[in-house]
Amino acid sequence: MIEMHDVWKVYDNGVEALRGINVKIDRGEFVYIVGPSGAGKSTFIKLMYREEKPTHGVVLINGVNVKRVRDWKIPHVRRKIGVVFQDFKLLNMTAYDNVAFALEAIETPRRKIRPRVEEVLELVGLSDRMFAYPSQLSGGEQQRVAIARAIVNNPSFLIADEPTGNLDPENSWDIMYLLEEINKRGTTIVMATHNKEIVNTLRQRVIAIEQGIIVRDEEGGEYGYED
Amino acid sequence: MKIDTMIRHFREAYRGVRRNAWMSFAAISAVAVTLFIFGIFLVFAFNIRYMTHELDKQVAIRASLVPQLTPQQQDELLKNIKALPKVKEAKLVPKEQGLKIMKEAWGEDGEEFFAGLEGDKNPFPDVIEVQPKDPQQTEELAKELDNFPNGIERVDYGEAVTDRLLNFSGWVRNVVLIFGLGLATLAAFLISNTIKLTIIARRQEIEIMRLVGASNWFIRWPFFIEGAFIGVVGAIVPTTLVLVLYQAALTSLGAGEQYAILKLMPMLSLGINVSLSIFALGAAIGMLGSMISVRRFLKI
Repeated sequence: MIEMHDVWKVYDNGVEALRGINVKIDRGEFVYIVGPSGAGKSTFIKLMYREEKPTHGVVLINGVNVKRVRDWKIPHVRRKIGVVFQDFKLLNMTAYDNVAFALEAIETPRRKIRPRVEEVLELVGLSDRMFAYPSQLSGGEQQRVAIARAIVNNPSFLIADEPTGNLDPENSWDIMYLLEEINKRGTTIVMATHNKEIVNTLRQRVIAIEQGIIVRDEEGGEYGYED
Repeated sequence: MKIDTMIRHFREAYRGVRRNAWMSFAAISAVAVTLFIFGIFLVFAFNIRYMTHELDKQVAIRASLVPQLTPQQQDELLKNIKALPKVKEAKLVPKEQGLKIMKEAWGEDGEEFFAGLEGDKNPFPDVIEVQPKDPQQTEELAKELDNFPNGIERVDYGEAVTDRLLNFSGWVRNVVLIFGLGLATLAAFLISNTIKLTIIARRQEIEIMRLVGASNWFIRWPFFIEGAFIGVVGAIVPTTLVLVLYQAALTSLGAGEQYAILKLMPMLSLGINVSLSIFALGAAIGMLGSMISVRRFLKI
């Protein structure tokens, strides 16, 4: 569960990115974060995986106040959260190694790595592309590797910042079906997006942020912007 | 830490060194030069300590007795000296023995040279050799003996040698330490620079490691190992060089045993002390270099 109580984020240059956010996202939900560029979506997302700390207010992840967490414990908070980006952020190694890298980094016993990586790559539909390098994969395939990497550690949340931003419509839909599938298996998904068609078709909870404030929060809502 | 993880860290560190081969080479060379200078210094330092220690063991005060004393008076005097609080040991060396020692010291020629000096013609005085409890108190004790009421003609001790040796070593130490510290700082910065390059080359990996929840130390370790590796590799050449030079010095000086004052430390104990110190220093400089970069450039 993610909770925010009166959260403000003011950057060093004085920009007020978030101005009093109150929100609660329950376990197993699928939430779209929408809003114009520069409205505070990215900041909102960064607070969730503790890339940023709130200037004021409380962010609770599974009941843990992320502002109070000691630095050395932050990695343990992050292990509960998978993150996916618009630009994939894959390393220049095979799909298999990219996913295994995440498990190695948290010191998973070696014998457990191989079966788990194969399982997740199968889930995202890349069993036959396991040893391909990112340059040999299409954008959609690369994003699926990135998703596999994000969920390989069984996180409670998957946070996606414009996951379809770099993809053509067909690949975008494939990614959305995959995210839906992951959500059905119990992972909470929070996804920032500009894709009107997706939001309006795969109806889920929609949180709209404008000028650092939540202006709308409705279950099964519409995208609501013309871009 | 798990073995797997450790192996991984070493592999990553090695990859870092390989990736910046030239920069690593420059850093290793800088470390080598620094450690060579430190190594020479250490040889001197260890030897000076060794020599002063050896000298301390030998340092004895020689109190020459006036010739007219009867054996009873000599015994009396010896008893009084032994009673002094600063005295550890005192013994009477009669002039016959003094002559004998001198003859032996001159070797084959001694017998001939000192012929005819036995008995009444013996020019040596009877001597009481006094060992102080604390070598530092040698001078004070010597003065005390000099002021003894009667019976003592002259008091000698190895003042000049010990003092000069200690003065010289202090002076050398300061010069080398200042110079060496400057070099060590330079070497640490060169290492920190190569580590910085590795951090930049691996920034994407680091970002991913953070995102997936790698612990801070998991991310830092390879950089520390890389720095230590550069430091330790940089220690190999200077250690070898210093030891080879020392062996050469031992061989050439050791040829003449007469330089009793230049009693050098034996190869084995010096070798162990110096190599361990150089390697530890190399690793420390390396770790310091990594620390500088990890703190400045590795945002966790």
